[in-house]
Amino acid sequence: MGSTQVITATTNRGAGVMPASRRRPPRLRGSWLAALLFIAPTLVLLFVLRVIPTIEGIISSFQKSVSALAPPSWAGLNNYVALFENGDFLKVLGITGIFIVLIVPFQIVVAIFVALLLNETFRGRGIVRAFIFLPVAAPAAVATVIWGIAFQPQGPINAVLESVGIPGQPFLTSPSQALISIIILMSWIGIGYWTLFLIAGLQDIPGELYEAAALDGAGWWRCFWSVTLPNLRRTLAFVIVADTVSSLIAFVPVAILTRGGPAGSTRLIMFDVYNNTFVLGDVHLGSAEVTVLIAILVTITAIQFRLLGKEK
Amino acid sequence: MALPNRIGSTRPRRAIVAVAAWISGILFALPLLWMLSSSFRESGDIFTSQYPFSPFILWPRTFSFDNYLTVLNGPFGLAAFNSIFVTAVSVLVGLLLSSMAAFALAKIPFRGAGVLFVIIVLSFLVPFDAIAVPLANQFRDWGLTNSYAGLIIPGIANGLAVFALRQFFLGIPSELAEAARVDGLSWWGIFWKIYLPLSRPALIGAGFTLFLFQWGAYLWPLLVGTNSSVMLGPIALTTLATAQKVDFGGIFAGAVILSLVPLILLLIFQRHFTASIAATGSKG
Repeated sequence: MGSTQVITATTNRGAGVMPASRRRPPRLRGSWLAALLFIAPTLVLLFVLRVIPTIEGIISSFQKSVSALAPPSWAGLNNYVALFENGDFLKVLGITGIFIVLIVPFQIVVAIFVALLLNETFRGRGIVRAFIFLPVAAPAAVATVIWGIAFQPQGPINAVLESVGIPGQPFLTSPSQALISIIILMSWIGIGYWTLFLIAGLQDIPGELYEAAALDGAGWWRCFWSVTLPNLRRTLAFVIVADTVSSLIAFVPVAILTRGGPAGSTRLIMFDVYNNTFVLGDVHLGSAEVTVLIAILVTITAIQFRLLGKEK
Repeated sequence: MALPNRIGSTRPRRAIVAVAAWISGILFALPLLWMLSSSFRESGDIFTSQYPFSPFILWPRTFSFDNYLTVLNGPFGLAAFNSIFVTAVSVLVGLLLSSMAAFALAKIPFRGAGVLFVIIVLSFLVPFDAIAVPLANQFRDWGLTNSYAGLIIPGIANGLAVFALRQFFLGIPSELAEAARVDGLSWWGIFWKIYLPLSRPALIGAGFTLFLFQWGAYLWPLLVGTNSSVMLGPIALTTLATAQKVDFGGIFAGAVILSLVPLILLLIFQRHFTASIAATGSKG
């Protein structure tokens, strides 16, 4: 789970605030140079780590390599045409779409449930919280490898299923179950992460609202729909978008466990980019795919900013 | 009187809440407990106690540290060290650079601060992995492949860290900076001597963000750091899993080692960490 996209959570109010410009005493002028020196390293990194690769990816997507030694030549839209004419990429987009439509609502609903529970007081709350957050902190590769062993046909999950009379399942070896298995694995990591933000959102709802609801005689369920959920809107909007973005770039379980299979059933877009570029060796086709991916991500971010803008 | 947003409003309901919470907690912990117990098993035990079902599924029949010794003496040992080194440098340098940028954006008055802030946050909104493939081609041209620098650089710039620290600095009264400025303290002095020492909780939160990014990184080290001399823990772990002769004991031990570092940090900093996430989430 990348963490850079998390920022969105909270930019809505912050972005509009211009600090320190209101009551500026005359003595504090001429700070441009100081500010620039403080920000310069971050700006250089931004340029190197975001601007250059994005431009490089876009340029490369309009090129082709004739031989490994010759510099690439222009190919116009050929890479994009190849991408969309070949049914494989549409299939990749379809699978990625299904994956997101399944994983995001599942993670968010469970995370709301867990956040509500963890927001209550009970004995051992600290330990339960630690249990739920620990999968977030361990590397995704650890979760992947462990679940990969657990999902084996002769693994512990099937052992438990069979001990209660349910037949063993093929999990990652079956085209119909592999994607669901990956969703379970990634939710084990993701739910704890989104819970963290939802707990913060819950604690942010002013107590007076609940006092007012109590005076009106509202029960828990009524209170949840009329006070909690509406006031959690901002946090929820962020969590849904951030979850969508991080699910779009899901890579580790596919790369380690299924390599897109069986029968292409787990061919998510990020793995397909990797596969086209490094396994099949077509850098330019991979770049066209990266460009499509960036376009999707930028669109999601823009929609999010409009949503958040409307709320103010 | 209990407010209506409390599920546990009566005694029996409180009991249900506690049981439900503990069941969810244990469900999340089960894979980790299974991993931990399997890491102490002898090689024969690993298979016999995982299938078919036996009461030993979560408890090793025999305890041994052999898996840990074997895996740490192999290539994984160096990789675990590399991971610690690369992550530590990334967190320290990343904290310095992000807090510098955050300080300037929050406290040094200059025209365009707001626009610059939006540009920085928006650029880093594009998740790193999405542009990792074209960037890896660039890093190859620049000769940064299979070097510590190549692994560290993407981990030291983090939009969320800048954002969270800026929010925190905004909350510290500007009068502090103005008074110090009048007394002739340089901007660096104000930043280093006044604001940073006040920002411990925010620094811990931002440090955790930087830590999680680098400690969990997989795609990037796979692209630029597969040489055994700079290989990182997660890559080495999957190498164990895809080797010709899979050493399951070693995988479990390696997985425990890679989870142990975040566990220790989480235990030390949990209070600060959740507090700072709460601050990021609410004061935005």
